[in-house]
Amino acid sequence: MSGFRLPIRQVVNGPFTAWLAEERSVPVVSLSWAWKGGTGLDPEGGEGTASLLAGLLTEGAGDLDATTFSDALRDSAIQLSFSADRDGFSGSFRCLTEALPEAVRLAALAMSAPRFDADAVERVRARAAAAQRRSLETPRGLAGRAFWQALFPGHPSAREAGGTPDSLAAITVEGIRAARAAQLRRGGLTIAAAGDISPDQLAPLLRDLFGALPEGEPPALPPLPPPQRFGVRVISFAGPQSHMLFGQAGLPVRDPDWEAAQVMLRVLGGGGFSSRLMEEVRVRRGLTYGIGAGLSVLMGQGLITGSVATENARAGETLAVLRAEWARMAESGPTEGEAADALAYFAGSLPLQLSDTRSIAGTLLSMQQNGRPMDWLDRREERLRAITRERLAAVARRLLDAEGLSAVVVGQPVGL
Amino acid sequence: MPPLTRRQTLAAAAALPAVSLLPAAPAGAQAAFSPPPGARPLFGAETWRLPNGLTVVHVEQRRSPVVSQFLFVPAGGAEDPPGKSGTAHFLEHMMFKGSPRVASGEFSRRVAREGGRDNAFTSRDVTAYHQTVAAQHLPMIAMMEADRFASPLIPAAEVESERNVILEERRQMVDSNPRARFREAFDAAVFGPQHWKGRSLIGWEEEIRAITREDLVAFHERHYGTEGAVLVVAGAVSRAELDAVLAETYAPIPRRAVPARSRGPLPEALRTDRFIRHDPALREASFSRVWVSPSLTWGETRHAIPLSVAAQVLGGGQGSRLHRALVESGLAVSAGASAWTDTVGAGLFAVSVAPRPRVALREVERVANDTVARLVQEGLGEEETARAIRHLTAGALLSLDSIGAAPRLIGSALAIGLPIERVEFWPAMVRAVTAAEATAALRATLGANPLSATGWHLPEGTEAPA
Repeated sequence: MSGFRLPIRQVVNGPFTAWLAEERSVPVVSLSWAWKGGTGLDPEGGEGTASLLAGLLTEGAGDLDATTFSDALRDSAIQLSFSADRDGFSGSFRCLTEALPEAVRLAALAMSAPRFDADAVERVRARAAAAQRRSLETPRGLAGRAFWQALFPGHPSAREAGGTPDSLAAITVEGIRAARAAQLRRGGLTIAAAGDISPDQLAPLLRDLFGALPEGEPPALPPLPPPQRFGVRVISFAGPQSHMLFGQAGLPVRDPDWEAAQVMLRVLGGGGFSSRLMEEVRVRRGLTYGIGAGLSVLMGQGLITGSVATENARAGETLAVLRAEWARMAESGPTEGEAADALAYFAGSLPLQLSDTRSIAGTLLSMQQNGRPMDWLDRREERLRAITRERLAAVARRLLDAEGLSAVVVGQPVGL
Repeated sequence: MPPLTRRQTLAAAAALPAVSLLPAAPAGAQAAFSPPPGARPLFGAETWRLPNGLTVVHVEQRRSPVVSQFLFVPAGGAEDPPGKSGTAHFLEHMMFKGSPRVASGEFSRRVAREGGRDNAFTSRDVTAYHQTVAAQHLPMIAMMEADRFASPLIPAAEVESERNVILEERRQMVDSNPRARFREAFDAAVFGPQHWKGRSLIGWEEEIRAITREDLVAFHERHYGTEGAVLVVAGAVSRAELDAVLAETYAPIPRRAVPARSRGPLPEALRTDRFIRHDPALREASFSRVWVSPSLTWGETRHAIPLSVAAQVLGGGQGSRLHRALVESGLAVSAGASAWTDTVGAGLFAVSVAPRPRVALREVERVANDTVARLVQEGLGEEETARAIRHLTAGALLSLDSIGAAPRLIGSALAIGLPIERVEFWPAMVRAVTAAEATAALRATLGANPLSATGWHLPEGTEAPA
């Protein structure tokens, strides 16, 4: 490793706390913030409310109608957006330093005084409905929908995050206002900043941005059950390929084995060409253009998920190779060489992950969401050095369950 | 979901309604590029040629201890030999299969072992290879890239399995996606499936099957010469350090020329001016209309930059003319316009509309065409022109916030024969455009232009607008 360090400061102003990585060589600032909640808070039958809310916050606020608001952002090249995920709601902007006061003004206005004009609501609703229908045009989109439903039946995470055409049609402006009131609170906020800004400059902005929000935190989501083992679920779809999403239970983000699991999964199915799955499924057998697997995080729980697409006739073969590789890793773990390569990758990749303000702010945000200490990155190399091949083999044995690996397959698969 | 595979950028390139058209003789594009007085270069790049003819660009950026290397080859899908579409892209895949000093698959493994990233992409105009690593590893990636650029092994034993990978890539990125299928079919219907502009970028399936190792070797021989390639190195490296690395890696490669770009003429008429396709997988109709246009290398090149301003006024998001006429009126979910002008040969101006469900499609088409016709007739207003220019240029400096932006922009421009000023001074060039110039460019392109075609992509059972 190159001795790379990212100095992080904590900036506090009253109830608001942000993590900041200051870097002044380029006149750009990024801010990111988030709450827990997101589409998981959508009412039953009102799926898509949080997504509409996210879209509508930048469609007019205060005295500015939608076009005027959009012009104000674009005149100053302020990239402001909000998004609703299954377990959280987030906002962010990136702008030139000279546009920072305007960015803060517009972001604060968007959160505290969104207009929800009827015509804007209809436009955003139509856009969301079209996006939902379009997502069902491809096997990948169909697979994604079925996968979450199969993993967490009955939990809000299983529902259609962007809504369905029916649920979107039923959402009222009152419903969107209620979602905003529940979600955008002073409490439960996580904030990160990066770039051309000092702690003293950032502190007052925190109050400007969030000071007008109501007290208290968003309501909590129901606890996430363990993911179902649902076997192989086939959805028939006319096309040349079978698209598969596969997954199984993982481990909590705060588990002491988290980083060892990341390293082990890189050997199995991560990053580019060097994984076992890419070697066995793509390079050796020519079964696919790409296959990958890794950890995705939902409500603090890591799930092991992955995807692959292959010619229908070879779907059975592909799934068999996948299960065999899963079992081989569970039985004997990575080799010394594989372990050394993957550990070296993680040790060396830090400066690449942190080369622009948006990814730095995003990293600081997830560190806070995952409950990491401020020196987490500084001590990463030390933690990685302590990870042995035996520990990776143990974590593979603990986690990987070739039998329990479940898959949604969309296409006309042969041999399943 | 974890992001999958590498080389997905090909998909991005293939997704463009038309990355590029082609060529007559490159006209005097250079004159348009004298830097406006007082303008400062965006990246402050330095450029020169090695004795073997290789063009080198250096952008020193000290912000993080990282360096990016991009090598652009001035040949893409439009240079594929007749009947062998997909050759440029197939070769891109085989460039990862070893060279004298690097075993097959080892390139990516070595980069990953140092925590780096590597990838490659193929467009109609270029093939590009790139890596980003901690700065001290520049000598390693320069050695490996120079080695395969000069002497790829293209091992016969790996051609067939890689062909299967590419066929799966085609099935995944094109055949499994109705919108990608349509774009490919539209280009082929309009320009012809063997025209350099109408051919599949990833390759027609039967032609991918027909490509031989000899074809790949011949393509490399022909196009991977030092005199045509452009190397861009950006990041935490000084000129002296870079010179030392170049002396050991690229400088010893023997000089080799590349052929001038020659793609054959545009058809005098398009094969069809109306292409309609129904697709059972499609849920939402879409409308598009394209016009062959001047570019920065073809036709009236002075129109190229003003065309981008005109496209912004016509269809640059909220408040644009198409947005007001179609989206605010409730006829469409989205509506936009774009001008592809940074390309070898003719460019393409495009309008696209996603109608709302259950609206009369004929009405959508009529309003779209009327909106275009009205702007052509009225010309651009001073105020909307100034607004468009603000929106296009206000964020120019944001590209300093990304390690890959400078090499991507500069390499793409130089590899299609544009001068570096096109990138360094682009904001000033856009700001210099007047409403009258944008109007003239628009009239020259969307006026009485016979090279224009309309496409409708429809869900099964939807009646096609007449």
